[in-house]
Amino acid sequence: MNENVVVEIKNLVKDYGAKGFQTKVLKGIDFTIQKDDFIAVMGPSGSGKTTLLNILSTIDQPTMGTVVLDGQDVTRMSNRELSRLRRDKIGFIFQDYNLLDTMTLQDNIALPLSLSGVSGRECVERVGKLAERFGLVEHLKKYPYQLSGGQKQRGATCRALITEPEIIFADEPTGALDSKAGRELLECLKGVNESHQATILMVTHDPFCASYARDVYMLSDGRMICRISRGGDRKEFYDRIIDMQTSMGGELSWG
Amino acid sequence: MGMMKLVLQNFKSGFKNYLSLVLSLSFTVLVFLNFQNILYSDTFEVLGTRNRDYIGILIQLTSFVLGCFMVFFIWYSTNVFLTRRKREIGIYVFMGLSNQRIGKMYLAEILLTGLSALGLGLISGMMVSGLFQMILLAISDLTVEIRFAPSLKPALVTGAVYLIIYLFFAVMGYFNIVRSSVLEMISAAKQNEYVRQNRAALVVKAVLGTGVLCQGYGLALKEGRSNVMGNAFGAVILVTVGVYFLFGGLIPLVFQTLARRKHFLYRRGRVLWMNSVIFRMKKNYRTYAVVSVLMLCSVTALAMGFAMKGRYDNIIQFENTYTFQLLSSRSDLDGQARERIEREDSIVMSSRIPVLTLDGSLVEARESYSKYAFVAYSGLKQLAMDAGMELTFEEPGEDEVFKISHLYLLSLITDRADVRIGINGKSYRQTGDSSEPYLGYLQESMSFYVLNDREYVRLLPLGEELYAYNYRIGDWERFGKVRESLDVLVEDGPQNHTARVAIDPKSNELDWVKVMYSICIFMFLVFIFASGSILFMKLYNDAFEEKERRRVLRKLGVDEAVLRRAAAAELAVAYGLPFLVMGVSSLFSVGALGKMMFTNLLGVNLVSALVVFGILVFWYGLSLWACERGEGGI
Repeated sequence: MNENVVVEIKNLVKDYGAKGFQTKVLKGIDFTIQKDDFIAVMGPSGSGKTTLLNILSTIDQPTMGTVVLDGQDVTRMSNRELSRLRRDKIGFIFQDYNLLDTMTLQDNIALPLSLSGVSGRECVERVGKLAERFGLVEHLKKYPYQLSGGQKQRGATCRALITEPEIIFADEPTGALDSKAGRELLECLKGVNESHQATILMVTHDPFCASYARDVYMLSDGRMICRISRGGDRKEFYDRIIDMQTSMGGELSWG
Repeated sequence: MGMMKLVLQNFKSGFKNYLSLVLSLSFTVLVFLNFQNILYSDTFEVLGTRNRDYIGILIQLTSFVLGCFMVFFIWYSTNVFLTRRKREIGIYVFMGLSNQRIGKMYLAEILLTGLSALGLGLISGMMVSGLFQMILLAISDLTVEIRFAPSLKPALVTGAVYLIIYLFFAVMGYFNIVRSSVLEMISAAKQNEYVRQNRAALVVKAVLGTGVLCQGYGLALKEGRSNVMGNAFGAVILVTVGVYFLFGGLIPLVFQTLARRKHFLYRRGRVLWMNSVIFRMKKNYRTYAVVSVLMLCSVTALAMGFAMKGRYDNIIQFENTYTFQLLSSRSDLDGQARERIEREDSIVMSSRIPVLTLDGSLVEARESYSKYAFVAYSGLKQLAMDAGMELTFEEPGEDEVFKISHLYLLSLITDRADVRIGINGKSYRQTGDSSEPYLGYLQESMSFYVLNDREYVRLLPLGEELYAYNYRIGDWERFGKVRESLDVLVEDGPQNHTARVAIDPKSNELDWVKVMYSICIFMFLVFIFASGSILFMKLYNDAFEEKERRRVLRKLGVDEAVLRRAAAAELAVAYGLPFLVMGVSSLFSVGALGKMMFTNLLGVNLVSALVVFGILVFWYGLSLWACERGEGGI
């Protein structure tokens, strides 16, 4: 396997339901994520975006196919190994932030690192650096309920980045944010990606959000139907995404 | 769907969640009913009127304490229930239900829960009533025949007491809902916001709490005379307030300070459980304080029971030193007495001692009596030799006395320094006291002062010299015959007077102490078990909120083992802190009690602490199991 390949997905199939009444949600997905990629997966409701993300992030198991992450097939790993993999190799950004309300922002960000056995001193240093980059230094001592949505999501992004994972999975990261906070977050994600600090796979229904990625994969009815790559200008890329959405069927619900 | 149908459906679907509440409440009903059963049964009739009356008072006192506990327990559990239901019931607001209707739904649900608990408690209580009485009597070492006859009156009293308390709090809950604003009900679900506790307020509370607690401990150990009860009462108040501030001030302050030291916090997964402890402490500190005080009272009550039992055994032994004692103005009665006893039985031990009695008007002592008794040191030495006892003190000086007295069940005078007694204008320093039964039962009814031989002779003209003759017989079965034979010697004439004391070895007049002992053990177990269940209920409820947090952590890749360790550490703190506070406080409370009871209760203290530990470990295990299974939520 090419050393730049972070995730390799082959013939991924996922069925739901009892025998005889099964629904195929994913119908053989193949694609590869290279180091420093910033990929957005788009698709209408029911296209299988969330299922795909759940399988990639090892929360769900495929019916068939392989997902090789960092050289290991995650479909054959034990729960314990999967936990370790999630902790060390994967970073998560959720739509609803999922910050723990019992901890300060600083502790929330430091949590994965602290649980990996990294020394307290290093935890504090690394949290400080990331917080500075994401404009959160003055909010570190605050609790989640004292933060705005944008601050929470930037905090959650810091938590995802703190262990320097191989890949970051983001599930509708701007879904709960207003447009300004959403834009700020996307700029941050773009920034860390461009500075070679993170490989990102983002699931979104929002073309504006997707336009910050370098490649957009369109998922429809359980199949990856096309890929659009950004050239130079983000605005032009955004228009192309909209066009593609229209050509795939404007009547479909994109959410 | 009608309201009642909805209520029934809620009750049925949520029964598993209410189970811990129903079981805890039915347990209190069960215990209360069993004590009422004793009160209304004739089990203790055979022990005699005095014992029955004392036991009746004991059971009534215990019922009162249990009643108070029931108030607290029902208040607590309905409160937990209300908080939880308020969050769910709040949703009905959107369906257009008025507060009154929602309040009625709550009332119906809580009444169903309460009545289920009452029914379960009464049925199980009646089922175990015979067993309960058997255990109580077995621990009390009493042989009484038990009849398994469940009567209606105890059940009615229990039901009435329970329902009055329960209805009161249920109606309070109803008014709480009726008066709640819509916003308040909806936001009840979001009351998880962590409010950082003001550090300055915490410091003030911590200083205040530590000061008050130390003051309470100091008061408990303070030597006292007439003010001992006041001191004890003060100590109880101060320790209770101190413990409250300890959990509301010092302990959160320590944890918050530790959490600020990130180098410490980020090691060994502490970040996970220490933050949860701080978060929970804000919400749960009252519960921890109440549980600590409850456990402290239980341990002290148990120590009291053990001490009483110890005293009881000693008193029995004390009283039975001699079987017969004669106190006479005649110095030549020994021969006749011996001859009369030996007609019926053998004498295994005998002794004789002259006793000087002085009128109360000549003596100034801390306790005032109409007569005071004095013996010469050499006389007592001879008596001790005859009775095979050891004289453990030296002859007092000419201005000194040594007191020999009986064993007290409980003394409120703990300060025994610099005690003086005045005899005919001369002051004597009391060098010490002993409860060695040199004069047997006579010592039980009056205190004797031991004088220097010369001083004894000097004081002789001031009073009357009597002679105490003491005998222990060989065969106690012949007790009645010997007594009849000795009664011939009893006289009360102008020249001579002789009194006879007979100590029936089979007397049961102190049997109530044994019942008190077993009630103390029982109350101890009930309260410790209840303390554990209060903590369990609280933590079970918290586990519900913890579910979501654990789900997030699992997503983030936190290992199950790490989650388990964090839960174990957090629960260990929740159970361990009240135990620790109770343990330290009990050293003082039991120590103070030991002083009043003239005994060392450290052993009892340690054993009871171990029992508490065992029971808490049981509840801890149960909480951990529930937490790991993702159970929780009342």
